[in-house]
Formats: sequence, structure tokens, C-alpha cells
Amino acid sequence: MDKKSSKTISPVFIFVSLYLVVIVFPFIWVLAASFKPTQEIFGDGAFRIISANPTLENYINVLQNGLIRSMMNSFIVASLTTLYVILVASLAAYAITRFKFRGKNLLLGIILAVSMFPQMVIVGPIYNLFMKFNMTNSYFVVLPYSTITLPVALFILVTHFNKIPISLEEAATIDGATSMQILSKIVFRLAAPGIFTTAIIVFIAAWNEFLLTVTLNTNRAYHTVPVAISFLRTQFTILWGDVTAATVIVTIPTLIIVLLFQKQIVSGLTSGAVKE
Amino acid sequence: MKRMGFKEALFILPAIILIAIFSLWPIFKIINYSFFDYQLSDQQKSQLSTREKFNVDLFNENLDYVSMFIDMNRESFPEDAQGKVDEVIIDVNEFKQLLADKSGFIELSGELKKQIRSNYDKLITEADYFVQNFDFPDRENLQMIMEDMSKSYVRSNFIGLQGYYNALKDERIQIALKNTTVFTVISVAIELVLGLGLAIIMNRAMRGQGLIRAVSLIPWAIPTTVAALIWSYLYDGSSGIVAYMLQSLHLVRDSKDLLLSGGGAMASAISADVWKTTPYMALLILAGFQTIPGAVYESAKVDGSGVFNTFFKITLPLLKPTILVALLMRTLDAFRVFDLIYVLTSGGPGGSTETMSIYAFKTMFEQSNFGYGSIVVILMVLCVALIAAFYIKILGANVMERD
Repeated sequence: MDKKSSKTISPVFIFVSLYLVVIVFPFIWVLAASFKPTQEIFGDGAFRIISANPTLENYINVLQNGLIRSMMNSFIVASLTTLYVILVASLAAYAITRFKFRGKNLLLGIILAVSMFPQMVIVGPIYNLFMKFNMTNSYFVVLPYSTITLPVALFILVTHFNKIPISLEEAATIDGATSMQILSKIVFRLAAPGIFTTAIIVFIAAWNEFLLTVTLNTNRAYHTVPVAISFLRTQFTILWGDVTAATVIVTIPTLIIVLLFQKQIVSGLTSGAVKE
Repeated sequence: MKRMGFKEALFILPAIILIAIFSLWPIFKIINYSFFDYQLSDQQKSQLSTREKFNVDLFNENLDYVSMFIDMNRESFPEDAQGKVDEVIIDVNEFKQLLADKSGFIELSGELKKQIRSNYDKLITEADYFVQNFDFPDRENLQMIMEDMSKSYVRSNFIGLQGYYNALKDERIQIALKNTTVFTVISVAIELVLGLGLAIIMNRAMRGQGLIRAVSLIPWAIPTTVAALIWSYLYDGSSGIVAYMLQSLHLVRDSKDLLLSGGGAMASAISADVWKTTPYMALLILAGFQTIPGAVYESAKVDGSGVFNTFFKITLPLLKPTILVALLMRTLDAFRVFDLIYVLTSGGPGGSTETMSIYAFKTMFEQSNFGYGSIVVILMVLCVALIAAFYIKILGANVMERD
């Protein structure tokens, strides 16, 4: 980059800055509000950025009100989902990309259709199923999470597995390796970046899931972050202090994941949509 | 490519089982639900039954009360009615013997059906005799028990296509469909235009690509309910900064109108969605931009193509596949919108932001009406299928990469 272009303010720079401000502003505002005592959130202090009497009261409030528990639940639920979905999807993606079998296109079509249909379809029957087998209010909720995560995981993994040259595996077969050995020693190692990308996308999707948890796990002890936080807004009282503090706290894990893995996330998001 | 053997088939089995149980089975189930008047909170309708059923447990329990109420009030009845009291007790015991080896819901047929009917009719006549002729302390209780007893006969709640017929005339579905369409069309259109513009700008930006990308990912990555809460605070009539700014700029008359008027609430929901997903759209399109080789632009320049010409004749056609897939994904997402509106407005005020998802959810889980809720869901699935077919068949979106 030469000196000249860095000194003049280009329209691109202005647009980009404006965009960044629009995206970030809500977070900044919420962060500022989270330090305000209740009387400043309403009335004259409402539109001031810096609080006159900053306080940590809101944070203490929400942390004592079970937010830690729901973050732990979210972490457990998202990790469990990631683990089993990645395992199941990797095996399936390997079989899909490496073997001919009857009904492969039908299977891919079904997976695609599942990824498109509204989640609302499964909630009713799954609710009845969970009631029947006494599975409500438990971590079993991760099983129906497969509807939202498995198709995405499969598509990303199939794209990645297709990129791995099959000649390596053919050589290994000639040397007498079994499918399982080929999978664990060659494919999984070469596909590790793709699997990792998929894992992050699945983790975020599971972390953010709302509908299944709100219907299947009505007990507060099993609420995940998205559900717990939605209950902070009730019809009659809205405790903006609590809402803003909770928002700041639950945004931190997402922020860390995004900052650490932004490249993988973008590659995961685009691998289904962008043809290379 | 090798043919799949038995061992390799096992690789794919877990995925198939999961999809079958948690994605496909519910679809068949919900189609089944839609033919019944299926309501969880109503004991008469809480099961799917195509034939009349008889609730033995409920009946037995009430039998005990009938003989109890009549026996306990023996003193209120005159001398000549005492024989009738004994008769009732004997009949009740006989009845209980008839049902002794049965429990739960049973289907009635043949001899048993006739026998229960005739015993039951006799009991009704006997109980009526006491209720009509005498005044006794438990008279009202006995009436209530007889009323409750009649509910032991559970009629079939199979209604066939009646529910669909009702749905066609249901104005609330029409409004929900309209709201969903308005939300989807407007938000996706804005997201496409802004996303495309942003992608062009991001593609030009030399520095700060990492920062732009990270910031763009945050709204997409946070839970939708969190985004909805953030915006409900910013839109709040008395302490929301965005509402306050809009009022200062005279874009809205009163800051309180924002979430409390129909149009305002819809506009708020749309703009919150635009804020959350435009960056995602921009990133998808940006990735599409980056797959166009620079040589294409260079040769266009050599051939004397202007900026606009290059954009409309070269860039857009090359981006078309990416844009179509991104549009399809976004349109479907917007059409099934739930979390955002559920938290931001819960469908209010007065149903003005009630989408199909919200209506289906309220019908199923707030009114416990699984039958009708299923119909709303099925209508949604049909709409989603139409949208997907439109993109894939008519616009030629290639959603499945074939090798």
C-alpha cells in the first residue's frame, strides 16, 4: 500500500466505516446501558451513553438468577450435538463421496428437503414422543437437534471430502488397508480442517437453537441461553438492566468463537452456497 | 467409484436412522394429526381414534360415586324408595364386575357394547328417578357425576378434511400468510440490495478485511433471541435510543408507536432482521465475487467495457448462481421466521406481526390444539415447497452439487 492512498479518505472507507458503525452500535449501546442503575435506564438518563453512577448491580443480578446455569446448559447441549453430529455426518459423508449405492440421489434429495422445511414441522410429534418416553426436561433434546444440524454438516463435509484426491485411498487399498483404516488414517487427517469448520458451524447452530428447547425443556434448570434470555422479557415488566447485562455476558462466548475462527466460519457458510 | 459393501453401508446407517426418526417420522405424524380434532387439553380429544372408545377408568370411578351418593342420602328418601336404593347398589356392583378385567380406553363391539349400553341406560333411569323426585344433600353432585359419566363414551375424533376446510375459511391464517409474505419479501429484497452493495464495497476495501469479516459475523452468530432483545430495547417507547432518534427526526410521530402500532411493529421486525442477516448475505456474495478470476475483468477492460457494462454484463451473470442459492436460503429462513418475532412482538400488536410459525406455535402449544396446528404447519410446508420449486425450476438455482 503506498502513502498516497492511505492519506486520502476514499468513499469506500466512508461506506465501510458507516457499515461497521451500524452493526456495532447496538452492542455498544447495550454495553453502556448495562452499567446504568435502574433509575438511569428510564427517564432523563436513558439517552446518555456514559452512566453518571456506573454500577455492576445488573450483572450481579443476572448471574445470581441462573444465567450461569443456562450458559452451562448451552455449552453441554452444543458440545454434545457437535460431537455426535460430526461423528455421524463424517461417516455418512465418507460413504456418500466414496461409494456407489442405490438411492444415493434420493438420500441427498431427502437431506436437502429436510434442511429446507420449517422446524415447526417436527416440534409437535417430537413433543408427544418425548412426553411418552419421559424425555422432556433433559439433555435428550440434542437428538432432535439433528434436524437442523445434520443436513448442514453433511453438505459441508461432502464438499470437503470431494476435494480430497481419491488416488491416495486407492493406493492405500492396494497396500491392503481396510475402509476403517483409510477413513481414520487418510481421510480424517486430510479433511481435518473441513471437519473443524463443520464442527464450529454445528456448535453455533446448536448454541442458538430456541424452538425445541422452549417446548421440550420447560423446566428452568434445563433452559439454554436463548431460552433463558427470552424469559427476561415478559409482558408486563421488562428489566432492561438485567436484559442488557445478560446480553453482554452471553455475547462474549460468541464473540470469542467468531474472532478465533472467522475464516473457518466463512468457509463453512459459503461452501454450500458458492460454486468454485 | 466402488460399489458399497455391507460394512460401508454401516457408515451411513446412523445418519439415516437419525433423519428417519427426527425428521421424516414427524412429517408423517403431522399429516396424520391433521385429519383429527386432536386437542391435548381436552380429555375427549387427546387421542387419535378412528372408532368410538370407552373410558373404563373414568366410568368405574364415577360408578363408585353414583352408589355412594345414593347410599349416603338414604335417609332423605321415603320408605318406598329404599328398594330402589338397594337396586342401584346391586346394579353398580354388577356393572363393576362386567368391567372388572378392563382398564384404560377400550374399543367396544358386539355383545359387550350392547350390555354396557343397556346397563348404563338402566342406571341413568334409576339415577334420574332420585334426582327428579326427591330433594337430598348430594342431588347436585349426583347430577354432575352423571354428566361426567357420559363423557366415558369417547367418540371418534377423526374429522378427515374438515380441518383443512376450516383453514380455508380461517381469516387468521390469511392474515398470517400475508404477514409472513410481507416480512419475507421486504426483508429479503432489502438484504439482497444492501448485501450486494456491501459485497462490492468489501471487495474493493484493501485494508481491514479481517475486521470487516469479523464484525459481519457477529450479528449472524449471536442467538436470534438475543438480537431480538437488543432491538426490543432500542425500539422501546420510553427508553429506546432508536425510537427516540426516529421521533427526533420526525420519522415517527410518537416513539411509543414503534412497537405498539401494526405497521411500526412490522417495520421494526423487518429492520431487526435486516440488521442481523445483511452481513451474512454480503459475506456469501463476497465469496462469490472472489471466485471470479481477475483475468475476466482485465479482458473486459481491454475490450473497452465500461464500469456499468462490466457489472451488468459480466459480474452479475457470473454471480447469479451464488446469488440465487443465497436468496433461496434467505427466503426460506425468512418465511419460517419464529424466534425473532416471538421475542420482539409475540405476533402483536393485535396479530399484525403474527406469522405462520407464530400462529402454528400458538395453536399447538398455547391452545394445545395439535390437530389444527398441524394443518397450519402443513400449509407452511406447502409454501416452502413452492418457494423452493420456484427458485430451482424457474430461476435455475443449483442447490445440489453433482460430481
